Amino acid sequence: MTRFRSILSRVVALHVVAIGVISVAMPLALYWLLNEAANSLHRDALHSQAVTISGFLKPLASGVVLDIPPELEPLYAGSYGLYAYAVLDSAGHVLFSSRNDGSALFPPKESGNGEWVVRRRGTGSVLFGLSVSRTVDGRTYVIQVAQDLSHRDVIIDDIVASFLPSVAWITFPLLLALLLIDILIFRRALKPVREASTTAATIGPTNTEVRLPEKAMPTEIVPLVQAVNQALDRLEKGFRAQREFTGDMAHELRTPLTVIRARVDSLESGPLRDSLRKDLENMTHIVNQVLDIAELETFIVAGDARADLQAVCAEAVAFMAPLAVGQSKTIALGGSEKPVWVHGHAEALFRAVRNLIENAIRHAPTGGSIEVEVSADGTVRVLDDGLGVPEAERESIFRRFWRRDRTKAESRGLGLAIVARVAESHDGSVTVENRPGGGAAFTLRLRPAAA
Amino acid sequence: MRALLVEDSDELVALLKKGLAQGGFSADAVRTAADAAHALATMRYAAIVLDRGLPDDDGLNLLRDMRRRGDSTPVLVLTARDGVSDRVTGLREGADDYMAKPFAMEELLARLQALLRRSDNLLGRRLTFGNVALDAEGRQVIIGGAVRAFPARETAVLEILLRRSGNVAPKRLFEDHLFGLSGDVGSNAVEVYVHRLRKMLADSGATVKIHTVRGVGYLMAEEKTG
Ligand SMILES: Nc1ncnc2c1ncn2[C@@H]1O[C@H](COP(=O)(O)OP(=O)(O)OP(=O)(O)O)[C@@H](O)[C@H]1O
Ligand SMILES: [Mg+2]
Repeated sequence: MTRFRSILSRVVALHVVAIGVISVAMPLALYWLLNEAANSLHRDALHSQAVTISGFLKPLASGVVLDIPPELEPLYAGSYGLYAYAVLDSAGHVLFSSRNDGSALFPPKESGNGEWVVRRRGTGSVLFGLSVSRTVDGRTYVIQVAQDLSHRDVIIDDIVASFLPSVAWITFPLLLALLLIDILIFRRALKPVREASTTAATIGPTNTEVRLPEKAMPTEIVPLVQAVNQALDRLEKGFRAQREFTGDMAHELRTPLTVIRARVDSLESGPLRDSLRKDLENMTHIVNQVLDIAELETFIVAGDARADLQAVCAEAVAFMAPLAVGQSKTIALGGSEKPVWVHGHAEALFRAVRNLIENAIRHAPTGGSIEVEVSADGTVRVLDDGLGVPEAERESIFRRFWRRDRTKAESRGLGLAIVARVAESHDGSVTVENRPGGGAAFTLRLRPAAA
Repeated sequence: MRALLVEDSDELVALLKKGLAQGGFSADAVRTAADAAHALATMRYAAIVLDRGLPDDDGLNLLRDMRRRGDSTPVLVLTARDGVSDRVTGLREGADDYMAKPFAMEELLARLQALLRRSDNLLGRRLTFGNVALDAEGRQVIIGGAVRAFPARETAVLEILLRRSGNVAPKRLFEDHLFGLSGDVGSNAVEVYVHRLRKMLADSGATVKIHTVRGVGYLMAEEKTG
């Protein structure tokens, strides 16, 4: 059944097989029935012939005489006549016969009273006949009547012969029409299922409230639809729980941090306040990175989400520029100046590009420069003029908590894991190589979307 | 100046009130969206600091109601939930600014002041950054206490930079402001005025510097001392 996956194609396939069988079996059955009917007509005709002949038996003193009117004689004339007859007495002696040699038509034993037989004679023709017994003047006679099948009543056989082809010609289109009607019926019956599929296609992580309609569904499919809806309920619950958890965690972590921050800000200025602020900033940065990665873990980009990568990069560069300028580094945005539409979620892409820029600023030397380049094919390159990334580290740097210098408090090794996760959720990629003149070049590739 | 502080953490409220007082605000604090709606119905505030995570409602709903009523009081939204999927929405709902917790008290004050400057009633206030000040109404530039005569276009450029001080001002903003809809702006016209302003500031001994963020815009930052 792998070749016929849809219900409709299965129905059509089985239907075609059924049509094949029926269009062979039905004419055969009809042929048999018609033959039966024709044979019984012949039998009746022979029977009445036998009765007619028995009416010509006239009693005589020593027996009977067969008195056939002259106008009927040709009917039984030798091998040209339509019928042959023979009259036998109860002992089986032939009294009269239309045959030239005066013999019986068939042995009396085989022709029980009223029964008909078909015999094959030496010539190969088929003889069809019956016998009737009659009592004349107290004695029983057997009258045999037969007909050569090659002389059979042509009209009856013609009906059979011409009827069958027309039956075949009508059966076939009728069955085909039935097939078409069935296809229409099935398509109608499956309409709610198709509509449910369209509905189901809209379900996504951003749209988990949708349920499949059960009302118009055929009863056979209702249990499936119910099961799917229940599965969706559970999924939605899971999604919501996950979303709520990261949301709650954000609240629970950031509110105390805000309180501490406000307390520190209200301290008298001095080295203690400065170092506390620095610690708090590091702590906040780590909390933010951890929350981002937790959220991105279950983050799915809606199928039709589009973002202008150029605008995202402009925003990220503007966002990070004060930090770069504060460290006496220059930052610039190059490449396309027109919108670059990609399949994506703007905020997630922003966080990815921001992390790449943050790293570039951190690794560029004082007085160095950071360049962000957007190309129309949906890629962003973030370049710096620092020391670059050694070949051996180019895979591991994207792992969580991987960092080169584990002694630095502000470095937790989550930034590139966030970038990699964003790339993955967008069906894109992120890679790193070194620039010819030294310095790292990170490339984030995304899927272009129609403008 | 009176500000309304909508925040449910008592500790934070106490600290914020103190900080706001230092910035020249006397703040009324309420803990729920319902109380905030009540306060807004009886009092007119210069600005509102609104937390999103209130015990009875999302702060954004309160904001939406305000905007629907036509109340345009500047609102600074605070949020502890700054996830990938729920950022920016705050701004779209009509917030004038959006800050993620935790934040520095100084930044909160700076942003509130920027909000007030933006709202019409306080247009005449002075914009200052480093030792540079601009009397927005009188179009007077004061550097290190001395009044300077800057041409109109350079002054306009300075105003944009001051309003955004510490953040990048996009290039398009200058083009719109300097040339309006007169169309055809030479691609380096803005660059020319910025260059002139840069020189004027340096000559006048300003402690601020204009940095070019190529491809994006300009950023005015305080020059590091030492
Ligand atoms: N532009 C770069 N040039 C050289 N090395 C880099 C660059 N970017 C990242 N790395 C290396 O990769 C490591 C991992 O980077 P990642 O951004 O994941 O973490 P981090 O910057 O150390 O911490 P976090 O981003 O969580 O604050 C860094 O510690 C650094 O050693
Ligand atoms: Mg990093």
